[in-house]
Amino acid sequence: MSGRTFKPSDTVDFVVVGSGAAGGVMARELSRAGFDVLVLEQGPRFTAADFKHDELDYWFNNALLNSPESNPQTFRKTAQDKAERVHDFPSLWYARMVGGSSNHFTANYWRFHEVDFKERSLLGAIPGTSFADWPIDYAEMEPYYTKVEWDVGVSGLAGASPFDPPRSRPYPMPPLPVKSSGVLLERGARRLGLHPFPAPMAIASQPYRGRPGCAHCGFCIGFGCEMTAKSSTLFTTLPEAEATGRCEVRSESYVFRVDTNDRGRVTGVTYFDKERREHFQKARAVVLSANGAETARLLLMSANAKFPDGLANSSGLVGCNLMFNTYAETNAIFEHELNEYKSVQVTRVVHDFYDSDPKRGFYGGGGFDARIGPNPIAWSLFAPPPERAWGAEFKSLLEAMPRAMKVAVHGTSLALETNRVDLDPALKDAWGLPAMRVTYKDHPDDLAMGRFLQDRGVEVMQAAGAQQVWKGPLEESPGSPHLLGTCRMGNDPKTSVVDRFHRTHDIPNLFLCDGSSFVTSGRGQPTMTIQALAFRAADHIARFARSGEV
Amino acid sequence: MGAEDTSRRRFLQASGSTLGVAWVALHWPQVVEAAAHAHEAATGSVDHTFKLLTASQARDVEAIASQIVPGGATPGAREAGVVYFVDHVHAGVYERNAAAFLAGLTAFHEDFARRHPGVGRFADADASTQIAYLKAVEGTPFFGQMRFLTVLGLLSLPSYGGNGNKVGWKIVGFVDRHLWEPPFGHYDADYPGFEPYAKQRQS
Repeated sequence: MSGRTFKPSDTVDFVVVGSGAAGGVMARELSRAGFDVLVLEQGPRFTAADFKHDELDYWFNNALLNSPESNPQTFRKTAQDKAERVHDFPSLWYARMVGGSSNHFTANYWRFHEVDFKERSLLGAIPGTSFADWPIDYAEMEPYYTKVEWDVGVSGLAGASPFDPPRSRPYPMPPLPVKSSGVLLERGARRLGLHPFPAPMAIASQPYRGRPGCAHCGFCIGFGCEMTAKSSTLFTTLPEAEATGRCEVRSESYVFRVDTNDRGRVTGVTYFDKERREHFQKARAVVLSANGAETARLLLMSANAKFPDGLANSSGLVGCNLMFNTYAETNAIFEHELNEYKSVQVTRVVHDFYDSDPKRGFYGGGGFDARIGPNPIAWSLFAPPPERAWGAEFKSLLEAMPRAMKVAVHGTSLALETNRVDLDPALKDAWGLPAMRVTYKDHPDDLAMGRFLQDRGVEVMQAAGAQQVWKGPLEESPGSPHLLGTCRMGNDPKTSVVDRFHRTHDIPNLFLCDGSSFVTSGRGQPTMTIQALAFRAADHIARFARSGEV
Repeated sequence: MGAEDTSRRRFLQASGSTLGVAWVALHWPQVVEAAAHAHEAATGSVDHTFKLLTASQARDVEAIASQIVPGGATPGAREAGVVYFVDHVHAGVYERNAAAFLAGLTAFHEDFARRHPGVGRFADADASTQIAYLKAVEGTPFFGQMRFLTVLGLLSLPSYGGNGNKVGWKIVGFVDRHLWEPPFGHYDADYPGFEPYAKQRQS
């Protein structure tokens, strides 16, 4: 499986912490550039055949996730509240395994639009927020978005959305077959003058680069793909990194400290192996791609005499500006069967409300898609309105599930310094390390935008001929799998953690690249941009390493 | 023919003929094997013995679940064996919650008995009394837990003890075939194809 095995006494060129969407790309690009790369991953390594269609185990027993038992978290809305331990389900969740959350994601792969990178300039300041432009623009990112689509594998139809930003190549695979939910979304949206289009998905619609096309099993979101059709780094970039002979992916290796020397340079990382034995791994440079929650936590846990507030934290912003992407749902039932439990989650998307429009009275924009999501148990638990939550009315709703779908809305979350990840002062995880403390309260504009899109979903479903339509709850977020903004990118070391090349402002051989680098949240589907950032960052990091600038 | 071959053949037969068995076997051997594994996890006999609940407790759990997803013209939670699921998971995957669950169940019984001195247990009450009482307590954590467990017992893999004879999946129209091809439903059967917009940005 692994192409190379390093010893802790070896000084590798790069340690990459995390093997998910960003770490997997980083591993391939740096090893292909000729460097020795060791990827350290907290979780185990599964094969495709290990994955199960067990909704209870995966969705309600956290079989693939950071478990609240072993990896506990506390949550509070504001710093004035007492942070309470979360049980049953983590506040910030991710797949704790080789390939990370690229295993269990829905695989919506929207590119950011041009506006996403420069909204602060276009719209002006929003008082009380950290709303800012990115230090890079869409034109600089475009080649890397294309690289994700071709090297990782994305299915879609170029030019189908009139709102899409410019692109240099079409998608490498055609869109996945439309589902009934997609047909109905498209029908209703077109009747209203909107522009639905085939969903870009990181799922192979046909055999691609040695992987089979999707078998439409329906166990996508929250599940690993036993078909290997979902373009997880487990099946794409990581095996390619290992094939270089210069990369080792070391699973069940939980990094808890990034070590530095007297000169303020990183010397390596310290981690627990599967048996909880402690090891120090020497490295010339370290890249943290541990996700937007764990990267910040690791920097804070690495505090030492030289960096008492944590590494790379001279700005005091490590962990701050956490963003989730606002999410809400509109449910509908139609006359005939849709059978939405089959195939991928999403086949049609609407981006007509992507841009923020001051006339709406709030900041924000987003898109919505057609799905039922995720699977029978979750739909039965969460979709019914309170007045139909049990009894004969509940059962009649369950019996209508084959005719049900939902419009899922995804949108912006404003960056607030007060929304953050830090270390809980009391609670420890199963390894004795400080637990993650989450502080999060949605900006009112985020909720207003969610309600606005929910209402558009109602209109679309009614225009499509739905027999019943109802909105799901839209409340302040208790958590998210979209972990963004906690080590934001910027040109000014006082207001950002990494520079435009993902190098920390404070430590020249420490790089961060994952959702933590985001400056704004985008409209709800961050993994495409996380991977494009990783391809771009790897190009620059390799350039620095070749020229002795690391 | 080995067990693996038998497993594969059974899955392919269950997958139906529209996809083309030979085509699948040729192109996706690992896929078929993995999906067969998932498919077979859904089968297996249900253990109709209680590992945790007393007979009285089991009767109450079954009665509550039967009001959450009633039977009648079509099967409900009782027919799906939700009570066996509730019992088995608290002796297994949810063992850590067992003490809290039993405490909640005891408190439920005591409160019901206090409010209905002539009835005794919830399971002995008539349907209208049961429904009225559940409406009164539907905001309590224990009722929320019972609703959660009832849905899980109805729709999770039969190997957990519930969803007997796949009754739950039949209620919601789910077919555990794990391998499909379009059309998936009524509305995509005659989809004419995506029609491009008149004004679109060229790639």
